[in-house]
Amino acid sequence: MIQLSHNYSLPQREEENIPIKIVGVGGAGSNALDRIVLDGMEKADLIAINTDVQSLAGSVAAHKVQLGRTITRGLGTGGDPDLGYQAALESADEIRPALADARMIFICTGLGGGTGSGAAPVVAQLAREAGALVIVFATLPFSFEGKRRAVQAQEALGRLSEIANAVICFDNDRMGDMVAPKAGIHQAFAVADVMISQSVRSIVNLIQRPGLIRIGFDDLLSALRSQNGRCLFGFGESDSDNRAHDALSQALKSPLMDKGRILAEAANVLVQVAGGPGMTLSEVEILMQELGRHVRDNTQILFGTAVDGRMGNRLSVTILSSIAMEDEGATGLTSAVPLPETAPASLASPPPAIAAPIWEQQEVSAEVAVEIPPAEDEEVEAPAEDLIPSQDPVPLEAPIEAPPEIAKPLPSPRLIVPKKKPPVVKEPLLPGDKVVQAKQEVMQFEPITRGRFEKSEPTIVEGQDLDVPTYLRKNVRVK
Amino acid sequence: MASNDLMVGLEIGTSKICVVVGESRPDGTIKVLGVGQAPSRGVRKGEIVDFETAMKCVHEAIVDAEQKSDVMIRSVYVAVAGSHIQSFNNRGCVMLPEDRDEIDEQDIEDVKINAREVSIPAQNAFLHSIIQHYHVDGQDGVLNPIGMLGQKLEADFHIIHGVRTRIQNTIRCVKELPLEVEDVVFSALASAQVVLTQHQKSLGALVVDIGGGTTDYILYVDGAVKQSGVLAVGGDHITNDISMGLRIPMTRAEKLKIEEGSVTLGNCLPGETILLKDDSGFAGKEIERETLNTIIHLRLRESFELLKRQLQEESFIDYTGAGMFITGGCSQLSGIDHLAEEIFEMPVHIAHAQTMSGLTSAFENPQFSTAIGLIKYAQAVQSDRPRGRLGQIFSKFFSGMR
Repeated sequence: MIQLSHNYSLPQREEENIPIKIVGVGGAGSNALDRIVLDGMEKADLIAINTDVQSLAGSVAAHKVQLGRTITRGLGTGGDPDLGYQAALESADEIRPALADARMIFICTGLGGGTGSGAAPVVAQLAREAGALVIVFATLPFSFEGKRRAVQAQEALGRLSEIANAVICFDNDRMGDMVAPKAGIHQAFAVADVMISQSVRSIVNLIQRPGLIRIGFDDLLSALRSQNGRCLFGFGESDSDNRAHDALSQALKSPLMDKGRILAEAANVLVQVAGGPGMTLSEVEILMQELGRHVRDNTQILFGTAVDGRMGNRLSVTILSSIAMEDEGATGLTSAVPLPETAPASLASPPPAIAAPIWEQQEVSAEVAVEIPPAEDEEVEAPAEDLIPSQDPVPLEAPIEAPPEIAKPLPSPRLIVPKKKPPVVKEPLLPGDKVVQAKQEVMQFEPITRGRFEKSEPTIVEGQDLDVPTYLRKNVRVK
Repeated sequence: MASNDLMVGLEIGTSKICVVVGESRPDGTIKVLGVGQAPSRGVRKGEIVDFETAMKCVHEAIVDAEQKSDVMIRSVYVAVAGSHIQSFNNRGCVMLPEDRDEIDEQDIEDVKINAREVSIPAQNAFLHSIIQHYHVDGQDGVLNPIGMLGQKLEADFHIIHGVRTRIQNTIRCVKELPLEVEDVVFSALASAQVVLTQHQKSLGALVVDIGGGTTDYILYVDGAVKQSGVLAVGGDHITNDISMGLRIPMTRAEKLKIEEGSVTLGNCLPGETILLKDDSGFAGKEIERETLNTIIHLRLRESFELLKRQLQEESFIDYTGAGMFITGGCSQLSGIDHLAEEIFEMPVHIAHAQTMSGLTSAFENPQFSTAIGLIKYAQAVQSDRPRGRLGQIFSKFFSGMR
């Protein structure tokens, strides 16, 4: 989807020009940023933020901010989030102007390391103060990177989800599953970047593309800004004969979607269908009908459609949603599975009675966090130790003793970890080989092969596509 | 031979199209005169996806049947399947006017119309409304209320419906040939007519017709249809799985499934292989028997489990005294009955058409159950037709169907 031509087919509808900035924090963040640049993104300002000068120099972003000139002196943080945090505070005055004048800020970061875990919450905080809608794309470390990193990542994720409007979280373990076992390690790391890049671009397109039924900033807000930030995201594109169906099934195959099963729990679902001038009403109808099978009757569907001459004969579907609160308890369990390290963070197991107030407390703390920063302007020059309690939401909560402990595991459900193990392993088999070719173009989740049923209407029963061989879905090795 | 006695059943299946020509004997039995068939193309999962091609295939099959049975086919009964077909149970109710308390045919007709007054999706059409039981003034289990006295007549119906346009596609395909379509019948309902005896229906029985593209099922309890439906998974899926799993062409996979396939696991020697001879465009290959069987086993196990879960949404499955009857092409897979027994925990029979005379080779083949069943269905309908009034036709027709 490298868009070079600017001759829009529908000139009467102006693209809404919302200033957007994309920020990469830390090493993983700038990798993701590089990927976004490679894939073509001319509509947004890209900002790389890092402690490591070397990595920063290698970044292709136009705007670069070095963190912690005096604290880390151009080196990395050595995996210490505190150092990353302090470095970010030190450079807050440099970050702030970089983030100014944007209505929407995407923050891409890899959690677990020092800069990503430590600085990203600060950057998110500053972005919120600048008055922008903040969407964070975070990757969680591979489990082999060690428990300590996982714990750091979880803590940072908890913090981020309190600050940002929405956190879309990719589990590297899961990404690794999407790559064939014999593929190079760089590919495994690249998958998350590609995913992030794709997500960012489709959200930007979603907002900026002139639409017949337009999805605007307001719709996006209502899809994401429910009182919970657990995001689902899916994107599919196809130009086959059966493109409506193929695009949708690709979107649902996104690792965050769990085959569309998760959609059943969503209260708001934002859907945008975009295509070239050849897109027909019946295609949209088919697609929406199919999608309708995955959502509940009382789910509000925010539907938008756009015709874009540049799409040619491709048709794309973007699905964005967040999940209702009551489900978080259940999903929290599953998220704990891949990352049992969360347990130590909440050693004091919360009495259920306290659970209710905590939510309020969280909201309050988020607000407080927004309000406090003005004070911090003066304090930036002051010794960093003083700052810590006043600025970051988590240290802020620390004096409240028990509640913050509980608060940490609670936001963890935002982690969008697949619910079941089988689909996790099922997808990797086939899409794996295609990842290489996807590096040149848009990374799409290759649909699992359905053999002779490729072109026919899928048979979806209980969320499973029965046309896909059973042994593949159940991940039984037959060779 | 009066044309009235000649009945033709046409099943447009996913793997083949078959036409059965039958004749109704005065004693109520049916004689199969001939069977025509043609490989099917342009049909996926029981539904026509390539109209022109499917039409040609139907034509071939009809011509074949005409030649073999030496009759001229003018009208047919057509079986329909496909994942769009759904069913539910509903109760209709009518109150008799104050001045009358004898139930007549018109009331029966009214109660049926009443039972159909439920919302089905706008694009759907009713396929069958099958009477289960009548209730007169709260008295349960009335089989034929005509002539009975009462004020309130209620009736439980099993209603089968499907997407109108898809059913019409099938009809159009036949009409273009041109042939008359006497009726369209849900394929599992047709199969059940010949697979089950009246006694088995009253004991309670589950008929599962595993064809090429779909698995159709129908459940009888107390002689009445309680549940029915379609799972759009069939033999084609098994073949597709084999083709993909063993990386061999579809045609070879199909042949391998029929000749060597088995559902039973752990039944072969370790490392036992099957040698696929080389062919034009296909370099021979050696495959492990256990692998083949595992692929088939997993697919069928999954299908049965899905089916069981669908059936367990209501409690009727617990009342199947006669057990389960598997028919259709896939029922010929060795070991399928044991697998079904294990999953459904009831006696399982591999069944084919019964109570017929004529071409025995035809009705002993489970592949023809549906087409032969159509004839039986037709017989039940036609034998009632001369008796006159419309209402009676329906009432008899439905009691004949039970």
